[in-house]
Amino acid sequence: MPPGGRKPKLPPTFAALSPFARSIIFTAASASAKRPPRPHAAAAETPRQGQDDMPRQPPKRARRAEPSSDDEEEEERGSSESEDEEEEEDSFGTSESDGDGDGESSEELETVQADFAFFDPKPTDFHGVRLLLKTYLDSKPWDLTGFVDIILAQTTVGTVVKLADDDDDHDHHQGQGNGAADKKNSNDDDDLFGLISVLSLGRYAEHRCIKDIKEYLLSVCADKDAKKQLRSLLEGKASSVGLLVCRRFVNFPYELLPKLYDALFDEVSWATEDEPTKELQDSFRFKHYLLVVRMLERKTPAKHKSKSIKDDDDDEPVIYPKLEDEIFHELSSWSFTFPIRSEQSAQQEMKNYKEMGLVMAIKAEAIPKFRKKLEALVSE
Amino acid sequence: MATRIQFENNCEVGVFSKLTNAYCLVAIGGSENFYSAFEAELADAIPVVKTSIGGTRIIGRLCVGNKNGLLLPHTTTDQELQHLRNSLPDQVVVQRIDERLSALGNCIACNDHVALTHPDLDKETEEFIADVLGVEVFRQTIAGNILVGSYCAFSNRGGLVHPHTSIEDLDELSTLLQVPLVAGTVNRGSEVIAAGMAVNDWTAFCGSDTTATELSVIESVFKLREGQPTAIVDDMRKSLIDSYV
Repeated sequence: MPPGGRKPKLPPTFAALSPFARSIIFTAASASAKRPPRPHAAAAETPRQGQDDMPRQPPKRARRAEPSSDDEEEEERGSSESEDEEEEEDSFGTSESDGDGDGESSEELETVQADFAFFDPKPTDFHGVRLLLKTYLDSKPWDLTGFVDIILAQTTVGTVVKLADDDDDHDHHQGQGNGAADKKNSNDDDDLFGLISVLSLGRYAEHRCIKDIKEYLLSVCADKDAKKQLRSLLEGKASSVGLLVCRRFVNFPYELLPKLYDALFDEVSWATEDEPTKELQDSFRFKHYLLVVRMLERKTPAKHKSKSIKDDDDDEPVIYPKLEDEIFHELSSWSFTFPIRSEQSAQQEMKNYKEMGLVMAIKAEAIPKFRKKLEALVSE
Repeated sequence: MATRIQFENNCEVGVFSKLTNAYCLVAIGGSENFYSAFEAELADAIPVVKTSIGGTRIIGRLCVGNKNGLLLPHTTTDQELQHLRNSLPDQVVVQRIDERLSALGNCIACNDHVALTHPDLDKETEEFIADVLGVEVFRQTIAGNILVGSYCAFSNRGGLVHPHTSIEDLDELSTLLQVPLVAGTVNRGSEVIAAGMAVNDWTAFCGSDTTATELSVIESVFKLREGQPTAIVDDMRKSLIDSYV
């Protein structure tokens, strides 16, 4: 939250939202007012479909958003210094520069320029990472804080995605920053858009959070065969199993995904050589990856039988909120689903679908295939 | 005493509860652990009431109250209003008000004597606050933030404000509120104080991420450490000295 200066009036609906939620809402008006055209700067598009992309926001409120001073973070910054910046210069053009009309832009896709950058995890990312992992398991209490801590401690393998910062010190000091509370850095810290990491179940076996996860997965697994496989991965083979965690907001640009996964798997292979001790090096020689994700399954369409056949065909049996989960599921050696007890989202299009958890295991040999398929899917 | 609790893996306990010296409101849903944590501490002294406001669970941020009254936003349904009127003690005036800024808990911070409000609150609302809650109202900002209800939490004995509050602001606020204030954080560095904790004159509830340092600061500024001989003697000092003379 930028402390300096008084914020402009926020509409009543914003008063109850977290600063983070407010900061990711922007309109065409604010975007055009503050952004000079920068043709040379790398930029990734964030097509903002006011409809149902924002977590926790009813669509019409997002449209009527007034500019907030947090928006300055969304401006184009100088080109980022980190490794994997997506470079896409085609812009969806002039719809953003229609300054004041709030009536006319209500039906168009609004886009805003933003630079995303990949960083190593650091302790100040705690709140952002915690926010992303809040729904990792179901609503039953578990050691989420400990889980976030081990992800942040593992700086050699793992990436967080934030908006690019043009503060040079921030990047040059290996993420240690300026020590003292630098207000610009502290603005950035909570604006995490995505996270990816892989944790060795063997290395962290004694941590409370890993024990909680193992217990939880074994308790929700209803399928006997899958349970046997799961147990062997969690107990016997734990030292060669990596828990792959990838969490991001729904409006995260899909173009960044291949780079994100490439970064992760590259870091894993570098770690097998670069880690200081043999034990640590071996802890990254994964033979299997375990994933815990969500998916939407169509509820039994008892009513649809009377409707036209066209409706049934249009309804997918399964929807994957994260597109790479579909590829993982195809390539998985085994998987199982389980029902989620916590509140379902009340979106109109999703009312025929029930949110389910999906646990799957992938052999490490299948990863190159996964990377190729993901690349192909994204470039379609 | 300060207790650490969670609401469904969420450390923002000030969002899902509202704690005053006369009653405590708790959100519906979540596990019974949340509700029982409050009951265990408070049941002897004050009623703990489960409720929703406008069908939502974020009751701590939508309403504001003290021992004299409770103010509810216009989004409160009639059933919720009636439920609250029935469950709270008679001396607590429950009032629903029409204010554009409907998240009253974010806009207004109060104890039993003073209230700080968002600078843009309606004149009419300010009068309601003064009447129903029986407080003196001051329009203020905290560290440049207009959502005073979010960035500070104070009781009749002390207060905690946004960590970036300057010394001058701290002194000014302390004079207005007539309680000692400290700038600090809750829930491991979160600046949104009031969302991360719920406090009254004798107890506080903080999110489970609150560090030991933060907890000790909270216990000291809100004077929650009971049973300390020095505390008792300080309170009784006047009467002791009188009796010596």
